[in-house]
Amino acid sequence: MEMIQFFIKIWPELYKGLLVSLQLSAGALLLGLAIGLPMALARTYGKGLVKTLATAYIEIIRGTPMIVQLFIIYYGLPDFGILLDRMPAAIIALGINSSAYQAEYFRGAILSIDEGQGLAAQALGMTKSQTIVNIILPQALRLVLPPWSNELIYMVKYTSVAFLIAVPELMARGKMIITQTFKPMETLFWVGAIYVVVLSVIAKAVDIIEKKLAIPGFQMSRED
Amino acid sequence: MKGEFLMTEPILRINNLHKKFKDTEVLKGVTLTVNEGEVVVIIGPSGTGKSTLLRCINRLTEPDAGEIYLGEHKIESAKSNLTKVRQRIGMVFQDFNLFNHLTALQNVAIGPIKVKKMNKKDALELAMRELERVGMADKAQNYPAELSGGQKQRVAIARALAMDPEIMLFDEPTSALDPELIGEVLEVMKKLADAGMTMVVVSHEMGFAREAADRIVFLEDGVIAEMGSPEKIFNNPEKERTREFISKIARLHGSDSEMPGTGS
Ligand SMILES: Nc1ncnc2c1ncn2[C@@H]1O[C@H](COP(=O)(O)OP(=O)(O)OP(=O)(O)O)[C@@H](O)[C@H]1O
Ligand SMILES: [Mg+2]
Repeated sequence: MEMIQFFIKIWPELYKGLLVSLQLSAGALLLGLAIGLPMALARTYGKGLVKTLATAYIEIIRGTPMIVQLFIIYYGLPDFGILLDRMPAAIIALGINSSAYQAEYFRGAILSIDEGQGLAAQALGMTKSQTIVNIILPQALRLVLPPWSNELIYMVKYTSVAFLIAVPELMARGKMIITQTFKPMETLFWVGAIYVVVLSVIAKAVDIIEKKLAIPGFQMSRED
Repeated sequence: MKGEFLMTEPILRINNLHKKFKDTEVLKGVTLTVNEGEVVVIIGPSGTGKSTLLRCINRLTEPDAGEIYLGEHKIESAKSNLTKVRQRIGMVFQDFNLFNHLTALQNVAIGPIKVKKMNKKDALELAMRELERVGMADKAQNYPAELSGGQKQRVAIARALAMDPEIMLFDEPTSALDPELIGEVLEVMKKLADAGMTMVVVSHEMGFAREAADRIVFLEDGVIAEMGSPEKIFNNPEKERTREFISKIARLHGSDSEMPGTGS
């Protein structure tokens, strides 16, 4: 009973934090998509320097901890005259981090499409780019949905690192509540519970989208 | 009936074609002329360069030397005219290579829509007519995963036909099929041949070759070892190697594979 009352008291504060977390996730995921998809294409179809640069980008980002990337962008870039507010800094850091993983999901999906379909498209007279746009990508985007929805779920959880640069997201609000109320266990219980509920709603929504886009012959199941 | 559509106008001329992969020379100077309306069946042992020859014609593979003319038009790798030339050449693959995310109807319509910039409505009507032609109209809304191998291959033929090609290339169109599905594909091909389509077919289906081919080409070790009417190649080949190969495929494929609906 006491727990419930405590929850009612802290919910307005946590709710504000949750909204920030979701904004962060959405922003970072979209930025990650906007950078990741071209990177995947550059690494898969690019030649020479383009391919090398895309590969280097992906491997460097995947090879360094996210927190390092976050601190470089928030604390490091001002040395070069680039000063970012907390929220954009967090979105950019999380987005860049996500882009490398998304690029690899896309690349995996593209490579899993048998090359015969590409040959058939070219035999019809499609150019290379028409083939990618009309034949490869529509299939790759469907195949990438299961790993991509995992990325969405990781992302919502990863946004909690943004509290390290004092972005007022869910975890940061929790920390503030703890210093005010001296109730760490109770607070963290509710913070955790909110993550669980939100993530299962997202998982359910993704499931529905996958079913809507399902086409016979495409594996649509997500490994949990 | 053979030779009925044989006209003198050459539509495809291949002159001294060479192709190497690494240091193995696969095509060692192939010269072949195909006339309008003619059906040429290419036979030959595995690894002898049959697929490579077909792929060089529409430049899915880049030849090292030699010329290919489609009509008066020399086929070159310059990108500008390559997509134009490919539109004039239909190709059917051993593994069908249908687009898995599209229905049978969309598979057939996508070429006219994206390559020929035909409007969607006309393209879908055209696609439906092509599906009817191969007996697949009732499966128009099905995806490739819902079709049998023979059905997939018939859709693939319709997809190539929808581009209104001047010549059709078939690379072992029935060798990935279960025996009971081969007939329906050969039947469609036979109908196409009877309608006067120019066809170059890599196939070891003897029944089809006997009935539909105007000419058989025996390709071996990257050169045309022998060429002639089915009569001559099957019954009276000049070379011992040809005779050996014919009797070998006769053992493997049956000397008179079934051609349903055509009688004999
Ligand atoms: N892209 C490639 N790279 C390297 N080698 C190749 C390539 N394509 C074909 N080859 C080689 O060229 C030779 C001829 O191949 P090709 O596919 O043209 O033969 P084929 O007559 O069609 O044989 P099959 O009856 O088995 O289909 C083979 O030895 C093959 O391994
Ligand atoms: Mg072959």
